Amino acid sequence: MIAVLGLVIGVVVGLFVQPEVPDAVVPYLPIAVVAALDAVFGGVRAMLDGIFNDKVFIVSFLSNVVVAALIVFLGDQLGVGSQLSTGVVVVLGIRIFSNAAAIRRHVFRA
Amino acid sequence: MSLLTNVMDHSLDEGYAEAAAARGGDGPYRIPGTARGLLTLGAGLALVGAVLTVGAVNAHEAEPTLAKERDALIHRINDSNGSADQLQKQVQELRRRVDSTQQQALAPGEVDPAVLAGAVGLAEVTGPGVKLVLEDATGTGAGGNVDPRSGQGFSNSGRLRDRDLQLVVNGLWSSGAEAVAINGQRLTALSAIRAAGEAVLVDNRPLVPPYTVQALGNGPKLVGAFESAMAGQYLRLLQEKYGIKSTISAQKSLTLPAAVGVTLRTAQPALPEPSPTASPPASGEASPSAGPSGSASPSTGGTASPSGTTSPSAKPTGQASGKRSPSPSAKTTTGRPPTATTGSPSAATGAARP
Repeated sequence: MIAVLGLVIGVVVGLFVQPEVPDAVVPYLPIAVVAALDAVFGGVRAMLDGIFNDKVFIVSFLSNVVVAALIVFLGDQLGVGSQLSTGVVVVLGIRIFSNAAAIRRHVFRA
Repeated sequence: MSLLTNVMDHSLDEGYAEAAAARGGDGPYRIPGTARGLLTLGAGLALVGAVLTVGAVNAHEAEPTLAKERDALIHRINDSNGSADQLQKQVQELRRRVDSTQQQALAPGEVDPAVLAGAVGLAEVTGPGVKLVLEDATGTGAGGNVDPRSGQGFSNSGRLRDRDLQLVVNGLWSSGAEAVAINGQRLTALSAIRAAGEAVLVDNRPLVPPYTVQALGNGPKLVGAFESAMAGQYLRLLQEKYGIKSTISAQKSLTLPAAVGVTLRTAQPALPEPSPTASPPASGEASPSAGPSGSASPSTGGTASPSGTTSPSAKPTGQASGKRSPSPSAKTTTGRPPTATTGSPSAATGAARP
């Protein structure tokens, strides 16, 4: 219940407050989105596995976003930003896919 | 591969397993039971939602910006096109006014400047004529598409020389041609046929064999006169001795292009005589009549005079008068006589002397 409420509040805040994303942060926004999706899928899978922990969830989400942004920032400074973003997206995408597969096994038992 | 396998196997954050192990195996644990845990979950999910929404909003905002920029560019292109069209219209209008002013400035008996432009080579002319194709002898290494600059040069007698071409053109003029073009280069009073290195140049443009000489005039008559004149005999000699092929044929309709870059820099048009009936003297090199005397016959009025045996100028009523684009060039109206008949017709090509 409160989970859905939190999600709705977040969406509403994002939609109506329309925070001005600083130009310096814009390149990391796609990475942050992918990290957020990874955290959500991981949390859902943990819930279905019966090992969910809210602290782990929020810490993993924040650290994923920060680490992914840091990697891309470092890559930008070294001139390999786009390659490192691709790497981050690939790793997080694989995680999202396998988590989604685990969720599917839980839900459909197949 | 082990890296990818590792990513696949540990897709779930290991923190979950560790937290579950620390808590002990007291059954499945799905939703946090405490209020603090619920609040943390809610805050985390709110953060996730906010990040996702901001990302989506950002992506959608960038799209209209790009579209706006493209629209602005398209708008500018259309604007520029419109102003270019307008300028083009202005140019046409001004040309029309120049033409009509020229017409008004001329006395009624005088010749249309458009006709003059055609006569001196500054306007396209069309009409019947002859087409003369000259080909180097086979085996001279200067066939159809060989760069004349890289050929073997004039040391090879099987190649057509500039002098041959000058002779041919002079022969055409003297046979009654009214306009001549070589490989699409219209000959004017400023034209020169010459050799530079190993290439034949007309108006400083190298020609590539085969040489196609087009001349306007009464086709069959022109062919007959040319064949029987010295130039025709010379061509036959070239064919017999050196194998330079030449084919001449009367054409029903030829269109010769206008010459480009005919600009007088130092020559000034002489002022016309006050008498309205007398023709003003010739004005230097722009006139095809730059004969030995340097002046045109003042005796001719509005029509091309047949006083000379031949007329290098296209007569207003002649064969070359079919379709003329009105020339915007003011040079053709600078007090020059409408006719250019005296003097040697062969001098019309300027340097076209052997």
